[in-house]
Amino acid sequence: MNFSVKVKVVSDIAMLYPKGHLDAHSVEHFEAEILKLIENKSINIIVNCTDLNYISSAGMGIIMGYLDEIQEKGGDIKLCSVNERVYDIFDLVGFTEIYDFLKDEQEAVDKFNNGKE
Amino acid sequence: MEKNKFPKKPELKISIPAKTDLLKMVVDLTKHMATINEFGKKDAQKIALAVDEAITNIIKHSYNYDENHDIKMEFYTSKNENKKGLKIRLIFAGEPPVFKNTAINLNKLIKNKKKGGIGVEIMKRIMDTVEYSSVKDKNYCEMTKWTDL
Repeated sequence: MNFSVKVKVVSDIAMLYPKGHLDAHSVEHFEAEILKLIENKSINIIVNCTDLNYISSAGMGIIMGYLDEIQEKGGDIKLCSVNERVYDIFDLVGFTEIYDFLKDEQEAVDKFNNGKE
Repeated sequence: MEKNKFPKKPELKISIPAKTDLLKMVVDLTKHMATINEFGKKDAQKIALAVDEAITNIIKHSYNYDENHDIKMEFYTSKNENKKGLKIRLIFAGEPPVFKNTAINLNKLIKNKKKGGIGVEIMKRIMDTVEYSSVKDKNYCEMTKWTDL
């Protein structure tokens, strides 16, 4: 498998670290981690894309498919540290206009924390 | 070579089983074919994504994840005084794909909790042309991309 994903939960913010090639083959693994977070009510989610080399519509579909449910529960999905190549893919279909794309993890954490004030 | 036309003979043709674990190989191969035919790195990556989306659609919708089927891939290249081009032709059986020409509404897809529906849009936005056709029990997906020399 050319893909892995690590999860770290700090306070009420969950960080996902997808690594490698996220396509229709590896997406199941990514979706399972998102579902686990939702089940555990960890709905403030940061997807740190530092090590994400590739994403197809299968991966974007997971971020898209659970956003509404997460927002209805008062959470959000924010993306950070997206390299230019992957950002271009998100930008192709307009994801960059709908989702928060932050420079780095700290900026994404601050955005969640500032939203609570 | 006639202006913006492709030769009848493909530069490469391969047949692959309809398995999602081969998608990365498809992406790498397509990137390679685009790069050796002088497409820039960014263009090559995008063309590879379009092919990934097309193959994924076939595996999912035409073959319903049945790995006993095959997909034939043909790569055609062309070059004239102003442009170079790459055509990818996919030949497959199963259910003919439904190709919608309407643009997607991302907000609506999110509201409806849809996890799919953007693959074809990605293909259309990357490639110059995307055409599906069916003749008897064979389906064809043909995508072309041209770039200035």
